[in-house]
Amino acid sequence: MRYSFGWLQELSGTKLSPEKAAELLTMHSFEIEGLEKNNNNFDGVVVGEILEITKHPNADKLQIAIVETHCNASVQKLQIVCGAPNIAVGQKVPVALVGTTLPGDFTIKEAEIRGVKSFGMLCAEDELGLGKDHAGILILDKKAKVGELAAKYLGGTDDSVLEIKVLPDRAHDILSHVGVARELAVLEKRKFSAQGGSASGGAYAFDELILPTKKNQKLKVEIKDKDLCRRYIGAVMENIVIKESPQWLKDRLEICGLRPINNVVDATNYVMLELGQPLHAFDRDLIQDANKKCQIVVRGAVKDEKMTLLDGTEIELSENNLLITNGKTPLALAGIMGGKESGINENTKTIVLEAASFDAVNIRRTRTALGLNTDSSYRFEKDLDPNLTEKAMVRIIDILEHIADGNVEGIVDIYPKKISSWTVKLDLEYANQLLGEKVPEKEILNILSLLGIKVQKKKLLECQIPTYRLDLRTQEDLIEDIGRVWGYEKIAPRPMVAEVLPAKLNEQVFFERKMQDVLTGLGFDEMYNYSFYSADDLRKTGLSASDHLQLANPMNPDQEFVRAYMVPNILKNVRENLKNFSCISIFEIGKCYLLKNSEPIEECNLILAKVLEKDSNLETFYGLKGTMEDLLEALNIKNVQFLEIEKPGTILNPGRTAKISVGGKVVGFIGEVNQAVLASYKISKRLAVAEINLEVLRLLRQGSGGPKKNILEYKPINKFPVVSRDISMIVPKEIKYAEIVALAKKNGGELIDNILLFDRFEAKNSMAIRIEMSAKDRTLEGAEIDAAMEKIVSSLKDDLRVEVRK
Amino acid sequence: MLKTKIEEIKKQVLEEITKVGNSDALFDLEKKYLGRKSEFVGFLKNLKNLAPEERKQIGELANKTKLEILDIINGKKADLSKTGSNAEKEKIDVTISGKKRGVGHLNPISIVRRDIEDIFTGMGFEIADGPEIETEFYNFDALNMPADHPARDIQDTFWLKNKKGKESLAMRSQTSAVQAKYMEKHKPPLRIIVPGKCFRREATDTTHDHTFYQFEALVVGENINVGHLKQVAEDFFSQFFGQEIKVRLRPSYFPFTEPSFEFDISCTVCGGKGCRACKYNKWLELGGAGMVNQNVFEAVGYKRNQYTGFAWGFGLERLAMMKYKIDDCRLFHSGDLRFIRQF
Repeated sequence: MRYSFGWLQELSGTKLSPEKAAELLTMHSFEIEGLEKNNNNFDGVVVGEILEITKHPNADKLQIAIVETHCNASVQKLQIVCGAPNIAVGQKVPVALVGTTLPGDFTIKEAEIRGVKSFGMLCAEDELGLGKDHAGILILDKKAKVGELAAKYLGGTDDSVLEIKVLPDRAHDILSHVGVARELAVLEKRKFSAQGGSASGGAYAFDELILPTKKNQKLKVEIKDKDLCRRYIGAVMENIVIKESPQWLKDRLEICGLRPINNVVDATNYVMLELGQPLHAFDRDLIQDANKKCQIVVRGAVKDEKMTLLDGTEIELSENNLLITNGKTPLALAGIMGGKESGINENTKTIVLEAASFDAVNIRRTRTALGLNTDSSYRFEKDLDPNLTEKAMVRIIDILEHIADGNVEGIVDIYPKKISSWTVKLDLEYANQLLGEKVPEKEILNILSLLGIKVQKKKLLECQIPTYRLDLRTQEDLIEDIGRVWGYEKIAPRPMVAEVLPAKLNEQVFFERKMQDVLTGLGFDEMYNYSFYSADDLRKTGLSASDHLQLANPMNPDQEFVRAYMVPNILKNVRENLKNFSCISIFEIGKCYLLKNSEPIEECNLILAKVLEKDSNLETFYGLKGTMEDLLEALNIKNVQFLEIEKPGTILNPGRTAKISVGGKVVGFIGEVNQAVLASYKISKRLAVAEINLEVLRLLRQGSGGPKKNILEYKPINKFPVVSRDISMIVPKEIKYAEIVALAKKNGGELIDNILLFDRFEAKNSMAIRIEMSAKDRTLEGAEIDAAMEKIVSSLKDDLRVEVRK
Repeated sequence: MLKTKIEEIKKQVLEEITKVGNSDALFDLEKKYLGRKSEFVGFLKNLKNLAPEERKQIGELANKTKLEILDIINGKKADLSKTGSNAEKEKIDVTISGKKRGVGHLNPISIVRRDIEDIFTGMGFEIADGPEIETEFYNFDALNMPADHPARDIQDTFWLKNKKGKESLAMRSQTSAVQAKYMEKHKPPLRIIVPGKCFRREATDTTHDHTFYQFEALVVGENINVGHLKQVAEDFFSQFFGQEIKVRLRPSYFPFTEPSFEFDISCTVCGGKGCRACKYNKWLELGGAGMVNQNVFEAVGYKRNQYTGFAWGFGLERLAMMKYKIDDCRLFHSGDLRFIRQF
């Protein structure tokens, strides 16, 4: 919210500069987001008197003025060329001297305009940043003294603006000038007594704003829902003259960002800005019934009830909405906005003023449901002290008596359950213990007293909280106020005393780290993607919406679904990076959410993706498979198998997809993305991807101490030589390499160390494998090896119909 | 006399070595002068027969000369290998780039996250984490933010259409949700950090993204105070930035802490003198902190006022941006290899 610093000065009596005040508030109260200094712009703009005017010899529309003013402490007559038609001899005008910088970073220089020298500028309203008027030069009051700063005669514009970031727990008192003025006084350690300026009615002290009793038969007030409306003060003022507000009032509203309308409406806004209490004014003649009886009934709306708001929108109400009515029709949506029919207009003579207290939660719900947001609802929804209504009513009556010629005809105050101050017990020792620094007791008592808190010293301090500080409910709330007013900067850093214990290792975190290290070592770059994708992604990848969680309020339609798989976003990474790179190896580790039995299941997944510079047919798939094998080896994961999948889903190429199983448990899949999906993402190269569930994998890791406690164990190095024999063969198409290896191992028995494929000619289905054999206790003899090989070869021939070449 | 003999030998070596043309000849020369049966070694063996004074003098000279001869021979070895018959053929252009396998790169968020985790692990903090989709209860209510609490406005939340049983679900808007869950399962004293992905429904620009990484610290014990918060924070940031860092607390409000603070650190560029990086403010705004609200302790089943604790949270992106002078936080999620490959 924007605050007028002049107003704050008037209320708090502070002598601080705006900068100092802003700094003090930032360090001890809340953040000042901005400080606008308006009078800065007027240094160098002084009052001048026009002595002489002549026509410009070379331009029809220009005139030459001789202006008397003071410059460098001496009287000077300046020749100034001017284009405005409204100047006349004897006028006092604002003169920008040479060297002055005006708003918009425009610096006045000595100039020659069409052959005539000019030493300064006479200023129009817009040139001083005061308005938009450029029709003529601003004419100052006749009494203005030549040579003085013009700012003195330019109304309230020498004011500065503080922009405050109001904290939610302080909204009830800080969304007002009085609240901030009180805060400033506390920080300066001065007793606060708000002084209303003479301009805005009589001087007043906040505590002395007490409602006079003035019974009135012309107004009746009834509250039907006493939970949602805790207090309602209505006052009738007669003989009101609706007109423009005085300048001081308009200036203050404008500086706070509100638009002046007329004196009555402006006064309600003025008091709201000053005290924080929203007010409303009705035209009495528009709300009374045929018998000239005027009553206010506060009640819940009934089903299907409708009303038209001040701004012309028609709304449909529900039973949860609270209304101000005249007993029949709605006059206002309580605490949010007035109705169109009951408002102040230029013919208004008699008004009913409302100062009421509404339930914060209900206001919040109503305005959210109806999509409304007003200065009034903004304050009510953060809760307000019901006792503030009284002060606001006294204040607005006073102001309207001054600026609208009105007089009070009567006041009605319905306040079913009076809110009075409450007590919070404060343990001084606990306060010091929590802050970590001993605040002298005298200081604490002083701070509490400055905050308006009455203290009774018993075993604990019994603190009586003024009702305008709704946020002070616990002793921690009080400790916070003591700490911040005293100064957090006085609290010294203090080493923590704690038992020396090793941090418990988060295994998942360190498993993921290891994974990152291995993968970057293998040349893979790490991606971070958003956790969302679009309906379009589902369509392109054929994934089902019913597996996905869905955002109720996405930022945009592209991010409507919560990712259940990593693939769609990775496809986009590949597409975009192919614009700059010809080969890509990327990975991402992150969480995915699957919807199973309408419950979200969280999975922590790893995805790998690889695109090669060139792929004649197989290199992309086998390249990524190799990476996966390297990765699993580096992580000590044994018993890995890649098995064919019967139903590979909609994303992968069915002929080039395998599930990855560890010790018989499926942990993920690997495969090439199928042509249709690639085409829909405009990727023109082969792309292999693999996705793995990391939590499942971690528990299967050897040495993880997981369920099987499969701790890694060293195997002695064989002392005896290893011999190798090759077999070259033609393999029937349907026979898999894994079957050959399995059969060879089965028949070779213990002697077999290792089997590897060392040559392959795909077109002819030919393979060459190398079998490495040894024994742990002896050097194998030729006959033994031959026998084993014979057994393997014949089983390959018989069982798999492999044709072994000699 | 021995002295001249020794010098004589050195002279002979220098003379003969000029005639040596290959490594075999050099090997013979070395054997002749320094080998076990050489004249030179013979002297050294006979040193013990000399008078002590002379023994010392001759001994030193002999040893020195032996090393000189060795140097001469080694020098010749190097010359021979350079001018060896294969050298010309073997010569290659060593400035041509090597055969790289290509190394991958971590996202800078990962790098910063590791730095943080390592420092805190060193201080005995456990790393905790929780789900990125939270129930309304853990994201708000357990953190002293019941329904209709105005503070819920500060955090514009992504809500899900799906529910868990009857509970509403949200993408977690802060890692503090993990606080409550961890405390339900553990009794103080406790020290944890929670780094993790968070989500807020706010417009994105160069310093805001709707997906971001927060890093939360929580310490709970019997006498934890604001001074401890300052010290742990100063220790951490000083280590992280490798320079002395001061921490400044300003009043703020968060429902889950009381008192609550805004949390500034002294400018890492100027050290608090004022510069362009800190906009001549001397301090950099970093995040929020506070003493854990007793309502939060009650919500997880601790007795009111039995423990005190502090917590803080701020964005990892901010640290990464400061560390690497990155000017747009949306780059972290861009997936652009031209960005990632710089780290």
